[in-house]
Amino acid sequence: MNKRFFLSLLISALSVLIFIYPPQSLGQSQKDNQLSQTQEAKEEPAPRPEVFLEIDKKSLKNGGIIMITGKVPEGKPVYIEIWTDEKVRATRLDAEVDKETGKRPYIFYMTDEMPAFYNLLFPKEFSDVLESEKQLGRKWSVSTLLRNTGATTVFDAPAQAKIDRYQTTLWASIIGSRGELLPPMDKSENKRRAMQLVKAKFRDLPVVFKATIEINPDGTFKVPVELPSNAPPGKYYVVAKVDKDLKSEKVVFENTVSFPSVYLDNAGRTVNLFIPFFLTMAITTFGVLMGAGGGFILNPILVMLGLPHTVVAGTVMPTVLFSQGSGIINYSRIKFISWQLGVTLGLAMLAGGFIGPKLTELITLDQYKFLFGWVLIILAALMFWQTTPKYLEKNKKEQAILKEFQRRAQEATQKKEEGGK
Amino acid sequence: MKIEFWGQEFKVNLAIGIPGAFLIAVASSMFGFGGGPFMVPLMAVGLRLPMYVIVGSSLLAIFFNTLMGSFRHYGFGNFDLIFFVIMFPAAIIGGYIGPKIAKRLNPVVVKRVACVGLLILALQLLGVF
Repeated sequence: MNKRFFLSLLISALSVLIFIYPPQSLGQSQKDNQLSQTQEAKEEPAPRPEVFLEIDKKSLKNGGIIMITGKVPEGKPVYIEIWTDEKVRATRLDAEVDKETGKRPYIFYMTDEMPAFYNLLFPKEFSDVLESEKQLGRKWSVSTLLRNTGATTVFDAPAQAKIDRYQTTLWASIIGSRGELLPPMDKSENKRRAMQLVKAKFRDLPVVFKATIEINPDGTFKVPVELPSNAPPGKYYVVAKVDKDLKSEKVVFENTVSFPSVYLDNAGRTVNLFIPFFLTMAITTFGVLMGAGGGFILNPILVMLGLPHTVVAGTVMPTVLFSQGSGIINYSRIKFISWQLGVTLGLAMLAGGFIGPKLTELITLDQYKFLFGWVLIILAALMFWQTTPKYLEKNKKEQAILKEFQRRAQEATQKKEEGGK
Repeated sequence: MKIEFWGQEFKVNLAIGIPGAFLIAVASSMFGFGGGPFMVPLMAVGLRLPMYVIVGSSLLAIFFNTLMGSFRHYGFGNFDLIFFVIMFPAAIIGGYIGPKIAKRLNPVVVKRVACVGLLILALQLLGVF
């Protein structure tokens, strides 16, 4: 039993490694091809280098700092956009009261093309504007910030994402649908919604917008950019812009992610794989001890680490499927399941399980945290109740009966098996 | 509904059981946890069933929810394969270590510690500190 367990563990660990780090040769050559193609395409036009920029490194490993230098015409402000090829999902439910009609629109905006990393850098003189917007707390707005810094026209990479919108209704949510797909938006509306999705995805202003560019009177500028260690691998683009038309060439650099970091492409983040691994191990162990699944503790901690709540909920759930399944097999072997009761309540839970995952998508991270907080308080109360003397006394008797029944059930099964032989 | 379990008959009040199970399933699939710690009190207090009926049957009921919830989350694109591949073996190891330690610990103490831990986590989620 033990031997087989560890063997299967070893095999699964190996397959995990191979899965995460596939043989590089195939994917690499394709990437090189793409790179050389874009470089060729870049050499064709030769515009006046009114705005240009340079970077001191062409590649980074697990993030790092890149120094950007360049020049713009004298006396002009400069904005720098940095984004990655890697795309990730961003969603937002617009349930705010419309000022004109007084109704809540309940439109669900969703894109799968939000850059997994996006930064817009401003000249240092705008740091006050950024700071005052940041003071608004959760009510900060990308569009206000861009308007106040004159950067509305340079905000571009996220605006390229194609955004779908759905008219959500209560009924649609109940039957687990996103609602009716509305006709596509025009470019300016798409851009306005992209701004909201940038906030929904990255949440905190300083993550995306930074006033760090130092501009000298002669128009030369210099700015260090830190690519965090949780940034995705792949190609990154840097463009310096004065306005919509006056901008530099796209400069490319590459970030690679190596062991023990892995990129979770649905979450849009790079994580050190040991963190979720040991966290899951410790928490499921503790979960067994306290008699509750690990999900109650694991999910909030993973969310606090910065993973999207949708991905956390959707990925933790299947991990317990197998332990539940094996538990059911064990109990059914000794006929310790009332199938009638389990299936009846199970069908009600089947219906509930159909609806819940749709709701995960509709709520924001803050709402998720708030609701989860109350769920945990209820759970803590239940736990406390299970340690009261009255409960313990009752439980003692019940456990004794339980053991007795289990013993009888086991004996009956054994007899049957022997009889069968 | 009447059920028979090892020669004994129990009455189950479905007017409580079905809505309760449904709501627990909505919440647990929404947040992505199992739901067991809520199903057991529902069946014990709400349905007045003894523990030996509950242990197996609640697991079966929850399994329906986890199965459906997993499929639905997958359908909505909330499932991250690499993340799963990291957590899955860890969960299995945890499930293997847990019962071995459990014998040496006092369950009441564990539950009280869990109680405090859950409260701290809850307050953090609610932004109290």
